[in-house]
Amino acid sequence: MRLRLIYSTDVVEKPILAEIILKTGVLMNILGAKVNAQKGELIVSVPVGGNQLENLVEMLQEVGVKAIMLTKTLQIDMDRCTSCGACISPCPTKALRFKPDWTIEFDEEKCVACKVCVAACPVKAITML
Amino acid sequence: MSDAPIREEIRTVEEINDKIRRGDAVVLTAEEMIELAESSGIEVAAKEVDVVTTGTFGAMCSSGVFLNFGHADPPIKMTRCWLNDVPVYKGLAAVDGYLGATALSETRGFEYGGGHVIEDLVSGKEIELRAESYGTDCYPRRYIETVIIIDDLNQTVLVNPRNCYQTYDAATNSTDRVLYTYMGTLLPNYGNVNFSGAGQLNPLCKDRNYETIGIGTRIFLGGGMGYIIGEGTQHSPQGGFGTLMVRGDLKNMSSRYLRGASFYRYGVTLYIGVGIPIPIINERIAGTAALKDENIIANIRDYGVPVRPDKRPVVKRVSYAELRSGKVAINKKDVPSSSLSSYGMAREIADTLKKWIIEGTFLLTRPVELIPRHREFSPLKVRKRELTVLDIMKREVVTASPNDGVSAAARKLVEKGIDHLPVVDHESKLIGIVTSWDLAKAIAQEKRRLSEIMTRKVITARTDEPIDLVVRRMTQHNISGVPVIDETKLVIGILTTDDISGRLVGGR
Repeated sequence: MRLRLIYSTDVVEKPILAEIILKTGVLMNILGAKVNAQKGELIVSVPVGGNQLENLVEMLQEVGVKAIMLTKTLQIDMDRCTSCGACISPCPTKALRFKPDWTIEFDEEKCVACKVCVAACPVKAITML
Repeated sequence: MSDAPIREEIRTVEEINDKIRRGDAVVLTAEEMIELAESSGIEVAAKEVDVVTTGTFGAMCSSGVFLNFGHADPPIKMTRCWLNDVPVYKGLAAVDGYLGATALSETRGFEYGGGHVIEDLVSGKEIELRAESYGTDCYPRRYIETVIIIDDLNQTVLVNPRNCYQTYDAATNSTDRVLYTYMGTLLPNYGNVNFSGAGQLNPLCKDRNYETIGIGTRIFLGGGMGYIIGEGTQHSPQGGFGTLMVRGDLKNMSSRYLRGASFYRYGVTLYIGVGIPIPIINERIAGTAALKDENIIANIRDYGVPVRPDKRPVVKRVSYAELRSGKVAINKKDVPSSSLSSYGMAREIADTLKKWIIEGTFLLTRPVELIPRHREFSPLKVRKRELTVLDIMKREVVTASPNDGVSAAARKLVEKGIDHLPVVDHESKLIGIVTSWDLAKAIAQEKRRLSEIMTRKVITARTDEPIDLVVRRMTQHNISGVPVIDETKLVIGILTTDDISGRLVGGR
């Protein structure tokens, strides 16, 4: 599961992620980070589900980090999509690929919501949710 | 033309048309032809197959539509005209215009342009028409604003000077920043490869000796029927860069095969579907019609080097099969590759054209003139003297050594009244740069040697570069000066924004 972690101003300086990793032993992988003096936003992938995941989200909320599960990141308007492939090679996580019939297939699990594909699509068929 | 050995004609276009009318013509798509040739051999394929259909669907910037608006009452001699704020070329008669695919909206920029207007016209959408004039005795009106749809217009003729590129150079990027090009988003450090072209489905790959394609060839164009009207601009078939000029009536076309498109930070264009029937009139054409992606080769060029397209360094030569596999090895690393043109749509077009021919609604034509098999594509010579780096750069450069102290360097800047200090090794070769801002930072952080604070990745210029280009580079990197170096990295001058503005304002 991938989570978007939103840090508020008052907690942006604390090593929250490190503390939680040490406490839970969950090996989180940081896929993207935007941090400045006012706020921070991380995209992390967590290799757990069920209760463990719920626990993790709760712990984060308690220390002031909003955790949003990224179940649906982007949508492709298949009427607009021409299956050209311009979104495929720039995708850093190979979340977009061709099916055997040369139409585009999107793998939600791999997407890190970086939006590179949104800009790369010539016919503006991709929107971020 | 004499280099082509004369082969026995198997069938004529007229004979094929008779078979189409009788309903017993054998028509295969290029993909099916490849399969047949592999299983039964070229000879059998040549005997059995009458027509091979092809298709391509890609961004074709050299496209546009001639429009006739009809006269308003009182009439206007339109001298400037816009459709949905996209300028229409008006150097024609009073109410004729040409709308080019790459014309940008004056209000929406890269989001919307000529290609999108063409798609909207074909979709039957309402389009805002605005035009101006100086007013004449015969055409007194000076301004008009109205709303039109495609059916209001007398003629809507798609005339595309260059479509259907036979093959196209693929693109990669050696620099350390993302490039936004007409070949799409190119990631830094050879992060990806983008390519374009239908390869084994492309019509000019399938009749690559230009034996059947010519002026008057009837084709699938944008979902309707169109015609080839000649060689395309930049036609250069000997290197695999053949192109076609085509025309068709927009009113018979479909927005499925005509799509307005935006390339991020580059501009707008039009995706077009073109399909051409290849009559198998002799065995040699059967052979070329059965060519596979494995046999069709393209260059991968480095778009990170901002030079003329044909001078961009070739990183690798690969087949379309490799490009289409999804990865290409560059410097022993697998680099993701993908297309900008749609192979799926190209297939659909070849299929549709096949269906039309089998149904008997599409007959083949014999061209009145074939397309030339040899053409040079020459570069534009710059004959007017351009301002180059050599004209403006300062030749006396104050440099420093990496072991120099911060305060000594600061003194140098103050004494000479400069802001940029290139750092060089013992052979005077560039290894870094220090600016007055770097020195201020060094004092704040209590650093002592230039080697600790200098920028090692220096943005530089060459003496023969036009000033324009260097200004763009400085703006992009938000810097105010560049050392000028030769091929061996020897510092031979320095160019700063002060030098440039001084030259432009002072007009020396």
